[in-house]
Amino acid sequence: MNGKLIIQFESVSVEFAGRIALRDVSIALDAQRIGVIGSNGSGKSTFARMLNGLVTPTSGAVKVHGLDPVRDGKRLRRHVGFIFSNPDAQIVMPTVTEDLAFSLRGRGLTRSQVAERVASTLESIDLVVHADAPTHSLSSGQKQLLALGAILIGEPDLVVADEPTALLDAANSRKIGNRLLDEIPQQLVLVTHDLRLAARCDIVLRFESGKLHEHGDPRSVVARYERDHA
Amino acid sequence: MIGLYQPGTSLLHRTPAGVKVLVFAALTLAIALTAGGVWTLPAAGCLTAALYLLAGLGIRPLLRQLCAARWIVLVMLVTQVIFLPVLVALTNTGRVLIVIVLAALITLTTRIPALLDATERALAPFRRFGVNPAAIGLLLALTITAIPVIGGFATAIREAQRARGAPVRLQTFVVPLLVMSLKHSDELADALTARGIE
Ligand SMILES: Nc1ncnc2c1ncn2[C@@H]1O[C@H](COP(=O)(O)OP(=O)(O)O)[C@@H](O)[C@H]1O
Ligand SMILES: [Mg+2]
Repeated sequence: MNGKLIIQFESVSVEFAGRIALRDVSIALDAQRIGVIGSNGSGKSTFARMLNGLVTPTSGAVKVHGLDPVRDGKRLRRHVGFIFSNPDAQIVMPTVTEDLAFSLRGRGLTRSQVAERVASTLESIDLVVHADAPTHSLSSGQKQLLALGAILIGEPDLVVADEPTALLDAANSRKIGNRLLDEIPQQLVLVTHDLRLAARCDIVLRFESGKLHEHGDPRSVVARYERDHA
Repeated sequence: MIGLYQPGTSLLHRTPAGVKVLVFAALTLAIALTAGGVWTLPAAGCLTAALYLLAGLGIRPLLRQLCAARWIVLVMLVTQVIFLPVLVALTNTGRVLIVIVLAALITLTTRIPALLDATERALAPFRRFGVNPAAIGLLLALTITAIPVIGGFATAIREAQRARGAPVRLQTFVVPLLVMSLKHSDELADALTARGIE
């Protein structure tokens, strides 16, 4: 499964205990960088989390490159990397190297193959000097870079990032934003409140109250969103 | 108390993690079996202090570990004094304290990956009884990773309460800590799923 993952939503609705989080969303996406914006509680995370089966549709069908994220979740998750906002809650291993290696568990790689990929990933996220550091000793920005590395090391085809810069300072936000938008070869779904990042995508989706309010050219969608909230 | 590896080149640092875990298990057993002995506690105490010196760590980390264990000690003492003679309660608590401080010595002188490897290897023979060494190793690793995070929550809550001039009391501390910890474990579960662990 290489190349572009086509994301398809067909009349997808999601309810949590009777409350509607996503309302009849239909869209097909094959853009390289897909931005997602909208107010708090508008359904952005619900949309993003469906792409790797963390949320199940109450009705309708989701397909990511032909796979159903719920039924074929395990297979699909190898091809979909997910980054969350909180740098602390996605690091699972005590040291940097181990956390990276953790992503390669169960892939049938030899020790030296794992070591090789860990080394090259460490370099790409600028954490070589922290290879053996305890993960809790890293700064928030470094932790988020590690979280990104832990996903890239698995060589996914699609990276989904749910407000990856929400808890970072300006400099680290820029760093992570640039990485995601300009440096990784993967297809990207970027949920963000940072409208400048959204405007740099190839298409932007705007959610309001669980509905896909509009989608299209990033600059116009972002401009209308700003105008509505001015 | 965990995750405080201090680099060094002492005999203890160089000893394989598996050997250290085995010696620790043997010492714990010895302390438990000689419970009644008058000399058990002083002997074990001296041995522990000697091991800390041998590790080139000096006495300060030892004091820090003792200090870190003060709440466990307090709870143990109080609960035991209710039911047992004071001397028995004291020696019981002393033995547990020594075991804690010895365990801390392992984490002070062993890199975490080596420790996890050793644990998984040590548990391998129990596989036939349905024990999954990799799962236990993962659980241990997750716990080690989570301890500083939860420690951070505790600090944040105390600071928030101080900032508002609220007295720090047990109830007003434990509940938010639990809530934050549960939220953390929810988020962590999502991250684990996303990273392919079911
Ligand atoms: N696990 C859940 N349980 C109950 N309600 C939820 C859950 N996740 C999201 N919601 C609700 O669904 C709606 C959309 O949430 P979400 O997709 O997280 O919005 P956003 O990411 O845009 O802020 C909100 O009203 C939210 O309260
Ligand atoms: Mg959200």
